[in-house]
This record gives sequence, structure tokens and C-alpha cells, in this order.
Amino acid sequence: MNPSLELEQFVDRVMVELERKFGSDTLTDDPKSESVSMEVKGAVSANASTLTTIKVPKPKWQEGLAELIESTPARIGVWRTGTRPLTKEMLKFRCDHAAAIDSIYGEVNEQILSRFDLFTVETRYGNTENYLKRPDMGRIVTAAGEELIRVKCRSHPQVQVVVSDGLSANAIDANLPDVYPSLLDSLEAYGLRAGTPFFVRGGRVAVMDHIGELLEPDVLVLLIGERPGLVSSRSMSAYLCYRPRKGTVESDRTVISNIHPGGTPPVEAGAYIGTLVHKMLEQKTSGIHLDL
Amino acid sequence: MAARIGYPVWLGMGDAKMDGSWITSAGIDIGTSTTKLIVSRLKLVRTSSALSLPRYEIAERELMYASPIHATPLTGADQIDADRVWAIVSGELDKAEVGKGDLKSGAVIITGETATKTNARAIVHRLADRAGDFVVAAAGADLEAYLAGKGAGADRRSLRIRGAVVNIDIGGGTANAAIFRRGKLIGTITFHIGGRLIQLDETGMIRYVAPSIRTWLGANGYRIEAGIVVAFSMIKDICYALSREMLRYFIGGNVALTDWHRNNNGLIAGQSLEQVPEIEEWMVSGGIGKLIQERAAPANLAEMAIHHDIGPLLASALRDCMQASSLRVVDADETVRATVIGAGMQSMEIGGATVHLDPKLLPIRNLPVLKLELSAANEGREEVVRLEAVRLEAELEDTLRTAFNLFDPEAVPPFALAITGTRTMNYAFLQHLADRLESRFTHYFPRSGIMVVVCERDIAQALGQALQRRCEKRLKVICIDQIRVEHGDYIDLGEPVSGMMIPVVVKTLAFPNGAR
Repeated sequence: MNPSLELEQFVDRVMVELERKFGSDTLTDDPKSESVSMEVKGAVSANASTLTTIKVPKPKWQEGLAELIESTPARIGVWRTGTRPLTKEMLKFRCDHAAAIDSIYGEVNEQILSRFDLFTVETRYGNTENYLKRPDMGRIVTAAGEELIRVKCRSHPQVQVVVSDGLSANAIDANLPDVYPSLLDSLEAYGLRAGTPFFVRGGRVAVMDHIGELLEPDVLVLLIGERPGLVSSRSMSAYLCYRPRKGTVESDRTVISNIHPGGTPPVEAGAYIGTLVHKMLEQKTSGIHLDL
Repeated sequence: MAARIGYPVWLGMGDAKMDGSWITSAGIDIGTSTTKLIVSRLKLVRTSSALSLPRYEIAERELMYASPIHATPLTGADQIDADRVWAIVSGELDKAEVGKGDLKSGAVIITGETATKTNARAIVHRLADRAGDFVVAAAGADLEAYLAGKGAGADRRSLRIRGAVVNIDIGGGTANAAIFRRGKLIGTITFHIGGRLIQLDETGMIRYVAPSIRTWLGANGYRIEAGIVVAFSMIKDICYALSREMLRYFIGGNVALTDWHRNNNGLIAGQSLEQVPEIEEWMVSGGIGKLIQERAAPANLAEMAIHHDIGPLLASALRDCMQASSLRVVDADETVRATVIGAGMQSMEIGGATVHLDPKLLPIRNLPVLKLELSAANEGREEVVRLEAVRLEAELEDTLRTAFNLFDPEAVPPFALAITGTRTMNYAFLQHLADRLESRFTHYFPRSGIMVVVCERDIAQALGQALQRRCEKRLKVICIDQIRVEHGDYIDLGEPVSGMMIPVVVKTLAFPNGAR
């Protein structure tokens, strides 16, 4: 099993223990609730949220607070002890931060790469420290990689799919099994032909241009791990570009971002990327020039 | 709600749709006594950022034309004269300068005692040449209350305060109340209270007492019937008692509810609420709402009987009782036109913009909904996964067999399958679901030709393509999402507006307390 998953499960267990020890009032099954209106709410409104946890002990307006908390994944309404955050909130914060760091230093699961028949090439990133300091080196495939791409890939494909870890290997592990097959189905439904897919270790978005020079595809789709944040460390982006070549400007790329189960739904994203590719081929353009 | 986040302009994929596109929508309310029409413009705007899946919503609703109030042409006691109704409607559409191709959506709501299937059919038949433009529904009291509440602005008002807002739409025969909290409908209830339930002339001679209110009058010791002459004070007593009792239903608290029912047998039409939520404000729409806002209290029979009914007196009694109550009274945004405005401007939704369909198959009207709820999965060991698959198979088999028994298997399409629930929709599960769904659907509806699926969550394009792969050319799949529907609802799917925006009208509604 993936070590970062194990860690997360461990932290979850600690959290559950803490919840039990200190108690936590939830919206719907709090027996101590004195508010009459809450009782009515349970009876009248069938779809009362059962998930929102209210950490503020005696909110002036419970329903309003719940609405705010549900509207954002940000850490709001987390309560405090004195002037400091609660221990479990602090631990949760540090856990999310650690997960973000792990994503950057992690490696994509080899089993997933072989399951989707992706061979691996590297950029000139060298190591993670250097990758972070030298984005330019993540935009160029190594000479060995160039050779491998030339040998293995079909040249001039209609659609070239490339996968890269980018800043989050976790993102690929978590989302590729949903996004990639859904994308292939969508391409097939539009009658489009994909070239030979592969994986780029240590890639940056603009590695698309180098690959574009090598294979000259009509549309290139790059599925790449996003810079991890405190909300999700497993968020993936899809960058699409019509005929990417050396010197392509950023405004020529189209992006669907925030792909993870809590954001842009992965399976639907895969299907929609197919629609975008179809439109790019139809209009022979991408980025800000693409009419959606 | 997806907010548009301020991304840099160069990422904005600056298309015209960001500025929104307008569509024209009409609402027609054909009631027992009056018929009215409105024309409005709805602005569709992309609400998701350029980096997300496209999502459009109705951002603005603008009233462009409101017709005068016409008397509903009838051929019998409750038979609508469809030809004359249509003459009124087309005349008003001409006055509103709406051309034939301009209307993109519209709703005809047949309300009150005329809300019968026969009348609805007659109107549909008469509208045949414009059927593509209109949704026609015989509204039940619940839908009427909901649309009136929306038109009166009770839903929007409830977003500005903490408690619930009740809008009571009172016309000639019934008072339809809809309770909204935080913008959502949480209950509806209908009373046999209205301005024309008792009709009389200037001398106090009773001309008519509606059967629906006779039980209550008798039980409360008011002995009146057609032909007798009554004093102004007695009618005043009745109006105050009706107003007081109706308001007491909402503020008495739940303990008093049993008591209330004992004293007011026959006053409620249909089902009562199981519990009455805490209400902070009320508003009144409908004909009585207009009288409340505009007329002074009548001092004698002559002042009251201007329309030969108790309307003006009921309005002033209700105004007095509301002001004496502990709740705040707010004016409704619209009074007599609340229902038609609700129907014309508020009944349409926009589904998710990533869908699977063939625009040539739209519009589709009056499609009954059957729900399939997928509960959260127990993911884990192999035998658990196998049990899950067995369970899904059984659920699908049940649902499709029910559909086969309920709906016409020759209809194209026979029904819409609504998929809801908390189940995680990953690729593997979606394939499995599509596989089983295709197999069961083909088994029960081999000649259907079209399958319609409505998903609650954003998965329509992926599920649609998975289904279409399996159905190949035998069956066309329409799959839309981000629309909430319930068992027993009927939906209309309109023609796509600028590409992939599908206007959807959900026609009957889900009521949390099960009162239908």
C-alpha cells in the first residue's frame, strides 16, 4: 500500500479518537440541542445536512453558520481555545500540510502506469530540489527520453495524451484511473484517434511544446498534478493545446483544473476533455481563441 | 453555489456567453375566474470559472409585459372554452410584440377548480401549433402555492431573514400557503378560505354559499344559506373568525395543532402539515392580497358587496388579524399576478452543461420520473464488492420492473430515470452501472428507442457516453444532470439554448412532509 495513504489512515484514526475524547456537536444528532427551531428543522426539512460539523459551541445562528461552512472547503468556524486553535484543528492543519509536501516528493505508482500502458521518460529536472528551483529544466525532455519517444510513439497523431506527475504524484494516483479511460471513451465517441500515450517524470506544463515539436500532434492533452494545497493534495489539471510548438504562448492553452473527487468530478472531466479536443480540431485553435 | 472567481483575463477564454444570453419566456394562468399572461426575459449566464466544467444559471429575470386581467371564458361550470382562451392569449402575445419564433419557454398553468385533465387536454390541443413553446400543467394546490410564493417573492425574502416566511395566496375559492426558509420551500397547505365562498348583494341577501365551507360554518354556529338575509355584523364575524383561525394555524405552535383541528374541521383542503415550522413573517398575494394593499375596510354592506362577495371584508379582517399577531407583515412583491409571474419567470431551471444528447430529439414533454437511489458503497474486500454488485443488480431489476408496470412500454421515451444518492461515481462503477442499466432497460423496453436519464450529480456526459457505447444505434441516450427530481414528478426538456444549455421544467414538486 502507498505509504502516504497509510499515514492518512493513521491520522484519521487519531482524529476519531480525539473526537471521542473531546466531543463534537453535529448539526442533526445533538441530543443537547436546546433550540426549538432545530427540532422543527429535523421534522420539516427532510434534506437537512447530516455532514456539517459545527465546532462553535453555542452559535447565535446555527443554520446560518452551517450554510457558510458548507459553502467553502476553507477552514472557517473552527473555534478556538483562548487565543489559540484547538489541538485537533492544529493537527488537521499540519496533517494537510504534510500531505501537500508528500505529494511533491512522492512517486507515481508504477502499477497504475503499467495498467494504462504508459512508458516513462524524464525531463532534465534531475531531482526534486532542482525541479522546484529550475522550472525551465522541467520543460525539456532528456535526450534519452527524446529517443524513446521517437522510437515508441506514432508521429503526427490526431490526439496525443501525455501524463505527468508535475507537483503532485498523488494527483495522478488518485485521478488517472477515472479521468483517462473516460477521456479515451469520449475520444472514441467523437471518432478521434489517439496516439501512443506516455508518462513524463518531473514535467512542467510547457513540456507540451517540446513534445509538440517531437511528435507534431494536432491536439496535445497533458494530465498533470497540480501544486498541492491545504484543501487537496491530489488535485489534477488537464492542459490542452492545438498544435503546441516551441514558442507557444500560455494564452493558447485551455485548462480544466481542480480535478479531484471534491472538485471537478474526474469521470465527467475526462468526458468533457474529449468535447474540448473535438472543438479544437473543428475550430483549429485553442486557449482564448476557442469558442465554447 | 459556484462563484466566479477572479481569474486573470488571459485565462478567461473570453467568449460572449460570459455576458449572458437572453431568452423570452411566457407565463399564462388560467383560473376559475380570471386569465392572465406575462412575458419575461431570462438571462442565462455562465456561473463557473473558465477553468471548470461549464455551468450556466438563470441570473436575471425581467418582466417585460403583464396583460390586463381577463375573465376566463367558460362553456360550463368548470369547462374552459379553449378557443376563446387562445384568442385572448394570442391577442396578448401580439400586444407584447412577441413573434412566433421568439418564445423559448413558457408555462400554462391551469389553476383552481378548472385544473382538470380535460381542460389541460383541451388547451394542449388548441396550442398544437405552438406546443413546442409551452409547458401545460394542471396545477395542484401545492404547485399553485409554490408558484404564487415564488411570484410574491417569499423565497427571496426568506434569504434575508433567519426564520421562515409564509406567503398565503388567497383568491376566490382557496388560500394556498407556501412556507419558505433560506430560499427553499419547506411546506405547503391549502385552506377553504376565499373571497367568493360567500356571495351576497348590497341588501345582505345571500346568493351562494360554497359547499367547501358549509361544514366549518355549521360547526361554528353560523347558519347561513342562499336566500336568507344577514346582518353586516354577522358577515364581519365570519371573516374575522376565518382570518384568525387561519393565522392561528401558523402561530399556535405544534401543541395547539390537535386542538386547532378539532375546532376547524373541514377548513383544510388536502393534508395538514405534520408540524408547523417557526414562522417569522407573512405576506399575502392573490386577489385578497391586492385588496389588503389597496383598499380601506368596508364600513357597511354596500361598501363590501361591490363584487357581490365577501372579498373586501375578508381582506380587511385578515389585515387587522395579521397586524395584531406577533409576526411581521410584509407586502408581497406581486399580488393578483403572483402565480402567473411564478409560472412564467420562476418555473424553469438550467441543467448541467456537460450532457449527452442529440438535440434533434428535443423537446420532450410530460415525461414521468422514476427514481433510483444509490446508497453509499461499502468498499473493501472482494466478497463485499461482489455483494454490492448483487445489490445493484436487484435494485435496477426492481426499478425497471416497476417502470414496466407503470408506464407505456411503447412510448418513446417511456419515462425518465432519476439517479440520486451518495454513491461515489468512479469510472469502474459507472461502467458497471451502464452495463446493467442497458441490459435491464432493453429487457423491459425493447422497442423504446430513447432512454432518458436525469442525474443529480455532475456525471451526465460520462454516464451518457458509457450507455451509448453499449446501446450502439438501437437506442438513443439522453443524459442530463444537476436537476433534482422526485418520484411522481413530470419533467419537460426544452430545446438546447446556445449549444448545450437545456431548459428543464420540473412540474410537480417534492414536498418534504409528503403532502401532495
